Amino acid sequence: MSARDEDARSWRKAYSVALSIFAVEVMLLYLFTLRFS
Amino acid sequence: MNRLDYLVLIATILAIPLYGLWRTRGSASLGQYLKGDASIRWATIGLSVLATQAGPITFLSMPGQAYESGIGFIQNYFGQPLALIVVCAVFVPIYQRLKVYTAYQYLGERFDRKTQLLGAFLFLIQRGIAAGITIYAPAIILSALLGWRLNLTIWLAGGLVIIYTVIGGTKIVSITQRYQMIVILIGMAIAFAVAIYRLSPDLSFENTLSIAGKMGKLEAVNFSVDPHKRYTFWSGLIGGFFLALSYFGADQSQVQRYIAGGSIKESRLGLLFNAAVKVPMQFFILLLGAMVFMFYQFEKPPVYFNQPAYERALENGYAPQLTQLQTQFDDVFAQKRAAIRAVSTTSASERDAAMNTVRKLNAEAHALRDQTKAVLVQAGVDPKSKESDYVFITFILQQMPHGVVGLLIAVILCATMSAMAATLNALGSTTAIDFYRPLIRPNASDHHYVIAAQALTAVWGLIAIGVASFASLVENLIEAGNILGSVFYGSILGLFLTAFFIRRVTGSAVFFAALIAQTLVFILFATTNIGYLWYNFIGCAVVLILAPILQQTLFRSAEASAGL
Repeated sequence: MSARDEDARSWRKAYSVALSIFAVEVMLLYLFTLRFS
Repeated sequence: MNRLDYLVLIATILAIPLYGLWRTRGSASLGQYLKGDASIRWATIGLSVLATQAGPITFLSMPGQAYESGIGFIQNYFGQPLALIVVCAVFVPIYQRLKVYTAYQYLGERFDRKTQLLGAFLFLIQRGIAAGITIYAPAIILSALLGWRLNLTIWLAGGLVIIYTVIGGTKIVSITQRYQMIVILIGMAIAFAVAIYRLSPDLSFENTLSIAGKMGKLEAVNFSVDPHKRYTFWSGLIGGFFLALSYFGADQSQVQRYIAGGSIKESRLGLLFNAAVKVPMQFFILLLGAMVFMFYQFEKPPVYFNQPAYERALENGYAPQLTQLQTQFDDVFAQKRAAIRAVSTTSASERDAAMNTVRKLNAEAHALRDQTKAVLVQAGVDPKSKESDYVFITFILQQMPHGVVGLLIAVILCATMSAMAATLNALGSTTAIDFYRPLIRPNASDHHYVIAAQALTAVWGLIAIGVASFASLVENLIEAGNILGSVFYGSILGLFLTAFFIRRVTGSAVFFAALIAQTLVFILFATTNIGYLWYNFIGCAVVLILAPILQQTLFRSAEASAGL
């Protein structure tokens, strides 16, 4: 695997992590809404 | 405000630009002036992007927004993390590999000069006016409440920003924004802690949240597909995505922040940092507003938060009506406070009935505030800014300890200065690189263009101060700023998305598609009352649909001669 592919793969991982963090944030906000609304 | 407050305020406001000037001494080349240097790392880029977007409105208006309508506004930011990932994957590598100074240079390289000029021109109009609003909005509120002269406030804050932005360029903007953002985050954290500490001891924090929720202030996520609902998960995710994509991908005031330093890795990390922290940051600012609301359930709030306007109405002979409304408001407040206390002590079975009483009294208090506003309109002192913009600043001035007051006023001014510095830096760079260099002096030295960029930054600063000085002629400024962005962003985004994703389209086709899209958005704006967030989508969609059609019909020969 070339260095360029390796780099692209690690960035895809970084984007997945960012997306997962966002999903967790929305889920926590939804749980907050259910608990207090 | 006392001496300690002024000391904290002046020290904070001056120390950051002075440090920035010291750090950037000796920077001279055009590249360094417009893009900073390799010493700018992702943390600085991330905080700089965060500070550019935040602006003073975030800290003045957001808590008031939550006080008034709850924290549902958070959903408007749901499209942003997704848009930032698209910007990281598509926009950043292109800008960094082409080593452009402005986003619109890319349009020139991909299409032609006229498309570059169109993109840059739309940006300059929109941001030039927005820069004036950025400085006017906090100045009108601070000058009204603190008794400062409006024009002096505008000139002092604006003048300081012009001086350091002109001298230091992109690097000083990034460095000062980093520290201004740190001050802002510390200030808001202290404000949050004090607000919690000042809540009524009659209720636990959990009970406070529970009652705020039952009063409709804590609905953070709403999955409704009803188009009449203002803030929903879906409108935030879809509308917010297009708005954020235009803003982060095609607005030079943001592009210049993340291409600073010149490394793809640092740019991406800075943007991903924003993708992760933006939603929690906005949540805490909105929750702070909800806590201020709960504080004022036990501590009597003013019947109308814009006290200077209220007092002018009293002086104008409207004292009898206003005093009567005040008496009714005081009575409703006392009943409501007793009802909220009853909610926390009653049994679970009686709680619903008690909450209904609280909601009914809250609606009555709201109606009395509306009636007060109507009297103010009658008295001819109808304020230009929304009353909710005065909620948080009133809380700061009346309830925070000395020293913290100065720090929080500094937070608002830091936010103003950081947003304005980024805007002036982008306006000066765009005018110098996209207009002055190709059209007026094509083959001058690097040093000449640095001087030109500095002069143009100063000119834009003076224009912004001019707009701010005449801004009182425009009603509802804050809304005007949001609408202005949405009216122009759609067609600018359309230009960039066509450049990235529709390979066969040439300059003339996309140029006329963007002109038609912009005209259509102007017509829709003048003749309909659709929600302004939709203009982003409409402008962008029209360019993306029309450009290939024009290419296949009117500009087919251009395609052949371009060898596509």
